Amino acid sequence: MASRSSVVRAARQLTSAAVKRPSPFACQQWRRTAQMPRLFTVSAQSKEKKYTEDHEWIEASADGKTYTLGISEYAAKALGDVVYIELPQVDLEVGEGDAIGAVESVKSASDILTPVSGTVAEVNEALEQKPGDINKDPEGEAWIAKITVSGEPAGKLMSEAEYKEFTEEA
Amino acid sequence: MAPSRGLQLSCTFRGFVQCRSISHRPIQTATTPTWLAHARRPYSSFTKNVSNPAHKLQSYVSRSSDPYLNLSIEDHILRKSPPDSTVLFLYVNRPCVVLGRNQNPWSEVNLGILDAATEVKELKDTEPPGIGVVDIVRRRSGGGTVFHDEGNLNWSITCPRSEFTRDKHAEMVVRALRRQGIERARVNERHDIVLDQGHEKRPADPEDTHRTPYTVDDGIPKPLKVSGSAYKLTRLRALHHATTLLESPNLHIISQYLRSPAKHNIEAKGVESVSSPVSNIGLDLKAYQKRLQEVFAETYASVGKTDIAETVGDELLNIPDIKKGYDELRTLEWMWAQTPQFDTKLDFVDGPEITLNVHHGIIKSFDVEEHAVDDTHEDLRTALVGTKLQDVKDWSILLQAKVESYNDRCAAVARRLEELLPVPEFPRR
Repeated sequence: MASRSSVVRAARQLTSAAVKRPSPFACQQWRRTAQMPRLFTVSAQSKEKKYTEDHEWIEASADGKTYTLGISEYAAKALGDVVYIELPQVDLEVGEGDAIGAVESVKSASDILTPVSGTVAEVNEALEQKPGDINKDPEGEAWIAKITVSGEPAGKLMSEAEYKEFTEEA
Repeated sequence: MAPSRGLQLSCTFRGFVQCRSISHRPIQTATTPTWLAHARRPYSSFTKNVSNPAHKLQSYVSRSSDPYLNLSIEDHILRKSPPDSTVLFLYVNRPCVVLGRNQNPWSEVNLGILDAATEVKELKDTEPPGIGVVDIVRRRSGGGTVFHDEGNLNWSITCPRSEFTRDKHAEMVVRALRRQGIERARVNERHDIVLDQGHEKRPADPEDTHRTPYTVDDGIPKPLKVSGSAYKLTRLRALHHATTLLESPNLHIISQYLRSPAKHNIEAKGVESVSSPVSNIGLDLKAYQKRLQEVFAETYASVGKTDIAETVGDELLNIPDIKKGYDELRTLEWMWAQTPQFDTKLDFVDGPEITLNVHHGIIKSFDVEEHAVDDTHEDLRTALVGTKLQDVKDWSILLQAKVESYNDRCAAVARRLEELLPVPEFPRR
């Protein structure tokens, strides 16, 4: 995802009258970000989607108080057809590294671990009805839970580029 | 997805062949002194041995027949063994029904007959077979429900995730079976092991573990299942465990345990078992166990010699991590409340159908077939919604206590609940 400088550059290009031709940075997402400069009070760094070595991803909300958690595309592919996703209960207090749920595919159970401590604020109940959706869009629609945190994640997290490298090594 | 904090279990049977006549010792809890007395040294070294980075190949056999303990030892191995090691663990459980992690005990198991030998309940058509107490266990791995007894050898292999495939070790087991003369054994498309039932012998590659001279392409006669697999995966490790029906004396009654009277009344999320006709392989358990250990050693000969080979037992309950997993498997929460959300239809000869939704083991809703709600229904709804199934010992007593104007229809609902959603005593010993 975007580093801070590319966000700034994208914002600059959007506000400049000179920019008429389509810019690779001028996608929907940047435009939205650029129109809400307030968001920059939280560093772009911490809101970037991050990955764990256990193949979960987390992404902070605009105010940095809630993290959305899911499993990576790499993990979803490796698991094969998911038949059930065990979701945590809302209001459950979780600690960094705890199993907050599990995924079952082809007779195999794998735990879902949280890299952040906090309280489960919301779970994606749609996954109870259609667990197979996690194979389609694991890093988007098929997020697993939102966790309200008191601080920033402390454990080892990777950027998208680092995670890509990590999965290629494995 | 990773290091499993959850529980995983597998099952075994009561003791091995030579000790079959000895009844298993009830494991009581921390107060039982018998196994504490003689076991200081072995248990303190177990974790050290399992986690020693130099121990690339390890082989253990359990002398315990306690399914909760064996599954917890297995989980300990999964989480403590070095990332690049391969560990074989063999165990035999006393009679028990073992469910996959995400299954529904009410729709998978004939819970009413588990009580059989311990309680003098009035005899029903489902009169239980006289094999005594049958435990019920929810394991940590995925997959379906299986029955274990003293004629069933459970094998489990924990290996690096990077080397794991769902068939790899089933193929190894097929090689061991063929070595013992079972030429009809092969791995099927569900990663289980079956015995082909073809009448004619046709040419087949003896090295092909997925085909035998008796494989029939139209699937008739149906192969008989002798081993069922399940897996638990962590970031670095993969556990494959499976049953092996060698000489079960209970083959004829297994299906009674695995056929629930509520099957057609429950619509469950989670994982439904796929039932298959089963068979005994007809090998002596001890002899086959030895063969399997040999084939394991040969399969990994390139890694080296087996670094550690040990027999373990009840003394391992002294290891806090194993005790913790053991206790967790025996909680009501894990056994009942872990059940994925489900709907139960209570149907009656006369009167409208009632549907209960149960989530996290708690009755969340009570719905009556359209336009038929009356005061009795309202009373029942008030009594039932919010009830935690695991707290119910007897549905009649519960409803009588909670419904002021208890009538025949309430009694009929209580009876139906008793038939469809019984909550047997747990754990049973």
